[in-house]
Amino acid sequence: MTRNGGKETDIQIAICGSAGDGTIAAGDILKRAMAKAGYKVIAFDVYPPEIRGFGKCISRVRVKSEQAFSLKPLSDVLISLDDSHAIPHVVEVKEFGAVIYEDTPVSMIPEGGHISGHLLSSHIPYGVPFRELSERVTSSARSRNITAVGYLAGLYGMPREVFYDVISDKFKTKPASLTRISIEAFDAAYVVGQDTFRLDEGFLNPPPNKARNGDLMMMSGNGAIARGCMDAGLDTFFGYPITPATTIMERLATELPAKGKRMLQTEDEISAISAAIGAAYAGARAATATSGPGFALMSEMMGLGVMAEVPVVIFVSQRGGPSTGMPTKTEQSDLNIAVFGSAGDGQRIVLAPTNVEGCYKCAGKAFEIAERYQTPVVVLLDLYLSNRYEAVELPANNPFKANCSKPTGKLKKNQPYHRFEITRDFISPRAIPGDKGFRHTVTGLEHDENGRPNDHVHQEMSHKRHEKLLPVARHPGITMSKRFGDKGKVDVAIIGWGSTFGEILEAMIAAREEGIRCAAMKVVLLSPLPLGPINALLGDARKVLVPELNYEGQFANLLTGATGRLVTKLNRVTGTPMHVQDILDEIRRLAGKKKGRQLAAE
Amino acid sequence: MSAENHIVIIGSGGAGSEAALTIRQRDPDCHITQITGSKLPFISRYELPQVFNGVSGWRELLAEPPEYYDKNQITVRRNSWVDHVDAKNKKVLLKHKEEVSYDKLLVASGGGGYLPEGLREFQPLMNGFGTYEQAVKVRQALPKKGHVIMLGGDMTGLDLARTLVAVGHRVSLVVGEQLFWPHEVTDDQRAKFVSVLEDMGIKVMIDKKVTAVKLGGRGKPARRVVFDGGGGIDGDVVMPFCGLMPSLNFMIGADVDIERGLLVNPELKTTNDSIWAAGDVCQIWSPEENSYLFYYGWHYIKEMGKIAAINMTGGKKKISTYQDDHLYINKQGEIDSPYWMYR
Ligand SMILES: Cc1cc2nc3c(=O)[nH]c(=O)nc-3n(C[C@H](O)[C@H](O)[C@H](O)COP(=O)(O)OP(=O)(O)OC[C@H]3O[C@@H](n4cnc5c(N)ncnc54)[C@H](O)[C@@H]3O)c2cc1C
Repeated sequence: MTRNGGKETDIQIAICGSAGDGTIAAGDILKRAMAKAGYKVIAFDVYPPEIRGFGKCISRVRVKSEQAFSLKPLSDVLISLDDSHAIPHVVEVKEFGAVIYEDTPVSMIPEGGHISGHLLSSHIPYGVPFRELSERVTSSARSRNITAVGYLAGLYGMPREVFYDVISDKFKTKPASLTRISIEAFDAAYVVGQDTFRLDEGFLNPPPNKARNGDLMMMSGNGAIARGCMDAGLDTFFGYPITPATTIMERLATELPAKGKRMLQTEDEISAISAAIGAAYAGARAATATSGPGFALMSEMMGLGVMAEVPVVIFVSQRGGPSTGMPTKTEQSDLNIAVFGSAGDGQRIVLAPTNVEGCYKCAGKAFEIAERYQTPVVVLLDLYLSNRYEAVELPANNPFKANCSKPTGKLKKNQPYHRFEITRDFISPRAIPGDKGFRHTVTGLEHDENGRPNDHVHQEMSHKRHEKLLPVARHPGITMSKRFGDKGKVDVAIIGWGSTFGEILEAMIAAREEGIRCAAMKVVLLSPLPLGPINALLGDARKVLVPELNYEGQFANLLTGATGRLVTKLNRVTGTPMHVQDILDEIRRLAGKKKGRQLAAE
Repeated sequence: MSAENHIVIIGSGGAGSEAALTIRQRDPDCHITQITGSKLPFISRYELPQVFNGVSGWRELLAEPPEYYDKNQITVRRNSWVDHVDAKNKKVLLKHKEEVSYDKLLVASGGGGYLPEGLREFQPLMNGFGTYEQAVKVRQALPKKGHVIMLGGDMTGLDLARTLVAVGHRVSLVVGEQLFWPHEVTDDQRAKFVSVLEDMGIKVMIDKKVTAVKLGGRGKPARRVVFDGGGGIDGDVVMPFCGLMPSLNFMIGADVDIERGLLVNPELKTTNDSIWAAGDVCQIWSPEENSYLFYYGWHYIKEMGKIAAINMTGGKKKISTYQDDHLYINKQGEIDSPYWMYR
């Protein structure tokens, strides 16, 4: 039976607690169960800084019948597992939304310390004896998080079976009794939820019944990167832990050895990229992953990769910077270092996926591209994308090609091999060390086609390294840029990259619903820029808006530098994703629809 | 009055809500907290029958929109039950183990439906009608042209009966001692008023003593009411309307005098200097009758809230303890009363 006139389901649940409350685990169960039930899900967890290991955790899960592009600024439901952390987030619950909380605390609460005293007048309170329910069923309060999910599931009539599957899967490596009592705790609370009279305005209609081509899986950005790496046949990975990139390494640390391949944690980031370059030079598909501070250390070796034309892949998940900055907050401020960082003209390829599915694609394609164009490829993520989860439909057949290097062909007798030969497409046939008869030198010094140091060819070789990259915009099987929204002339074009594009798309859709002619473009290939489609959009647009999570407007500057077009910058460095509303307000203002406060710099 | 002055009101019914607004009007600075078990902002109980009259959501029944509380800076702590009042330390202890300190306390916790001893064990099979949730549950339990069996027949049920009949349901009234409560009627009047009910289409069953409420048999309506000496009637919903009982358990041991309700003087102050009471929960000293009396009905309830608020904010006003409570048949042929308000 559908509710609310069969309207599309679009409900966002935030679960907030303290580290140790099982907040993230509860969110994880919820999002996986909802994806299993057939909904489109997008989820994002916020942890306390790992170094301290305590503090606030929030898991936000948006459940939709159709694709969601971003989280909503206001949730429909807030579940508090720890009122002291959840109280400040009450204002993030929409009007007539629900606040679900513990109403059987163990000890006295200081005056004002209970969340029921902080609800907005339109919120619907649901007090639930999470602790008592957990203790009754499991003889311990540790399953409070599961009872919270159970209550929610019962309240909204979510199907139980998908939760049973997810809980069983989650605890499959633990004693069987843990799965059993967790399901019992879930069930006990489910019944309480079912019996609760629903007064809030959130609703959940059955998911659309759509045929699928591949598997629908709940994946994080980093999980998708690891999966893309594995499907692309990654041979070896070197890394050094750093938030928010660490989970890529953690995942590969179990998956690579299981396939007889290697992962090594090096002593630092310099070693990690050096080893990866070495392995790639030796013919392996090799990668490393880091964040801004680690990437700063890697920049010297990036230069070597460019100069020696080594196909290495570097995943960079950005966080608030500079320096140690804000390790657990999201930002998009490593674009400059990704595109330009290293000595000299460091031509390289930079890709930035905009969603989790894109992470999978970019990860796998990065290896093809690195080999094809013989250069380091940087895949730029950020904390919001690395940690956010989406229900992703992976293709049934592996979409990535093995060995994409330009083959050397056979050498005639005594014909020398020129590792850096300047060909018509500026890409040299690539041999790897040990290929019989293809002896060659590789160096970080400027060198001639033979690889021998030579300063006099710097102009030609720089040209070669620049020109060879240009066709990458047409690399098959990956979308390097895409325009959405109105065709032809528009009042406002919004151009974005990385995780922010979800919010841009939502804002653009909302603006069009208001009658504003606008279009949005995601740019996945950030270096070299796909200028054809970008210029076409700029030509159509009366105003151009570039929202991004850095202070200076790094992408806006890149665009203006490459196209000469002045754009309106919308920048935020609050450590949180961009608000759809801010982008929408700006679109309205630029379209002349509303005289709002000016948010952006022109 | 200083900003620190914290006035706590227990209850968000007619009395508590009227008091909150009056206090705010008289003292813009004080801090007002209403504590209520209700999950929703204030919905007048006598509006509840409207759920059978096309009202589809609780928002349509709100006495005031949510913004009203923000605008008037009235904090309403909903879904919060008072467990105990510590009058000595001026603290209200909530069930979820939080204390709320007050400078002045107004108890306006109203009353719940009274259930005679003999019916208590059947409560799970009966539907209450005091909250929006309960009202909707009745609506959901009723099929088209459903049959409601009302036990008792107090005034709170009669308005509902009127609406149910008007929208096509059947109502049978098994008359109890509380017929027309809180009005006292003579035997003559009683017969006259009963015939008005019958004219309205309500089936009135006099002299039947209910011994049990059971689940209905297979293929029968959901409930069966069994009478003393055999026989009974089937219905979809059974609802007791046997008068109200003040909700004041949490006031036991709170240094106030209690008889059946909280005892207050005509200024609505209890025997504790910092505690006032208003609404269905209190019995007011009537000099005319020389005893403590209950006063009901919408108009009077609001008046109590207002007068308590005035006195809590430095005023000195007495409530009129005279109440014209005679029941009569109005021009439209309906049962009416000067103080019991109808829509
Ligand atoms: C079903 C029904 C129909 C009625 N119809 C009419 C009518 O048509 N006309 C008419 O004039 N009168 C009618 N009345 C009578 C009138 O509505 C009542 O006299 C009036 O509602 C009483 O108001 P009050 O503020 O005293 O209490 P209530 O309206 O009962 O409000 C009591 C409040 O106290 C809260 N509360 C109680 N205990 C606690 C606790 N321990 N902790 C926290 N909060 C608590 C409750 O949640 C509620 O918010 C009706 C009454 C009922 C029950």
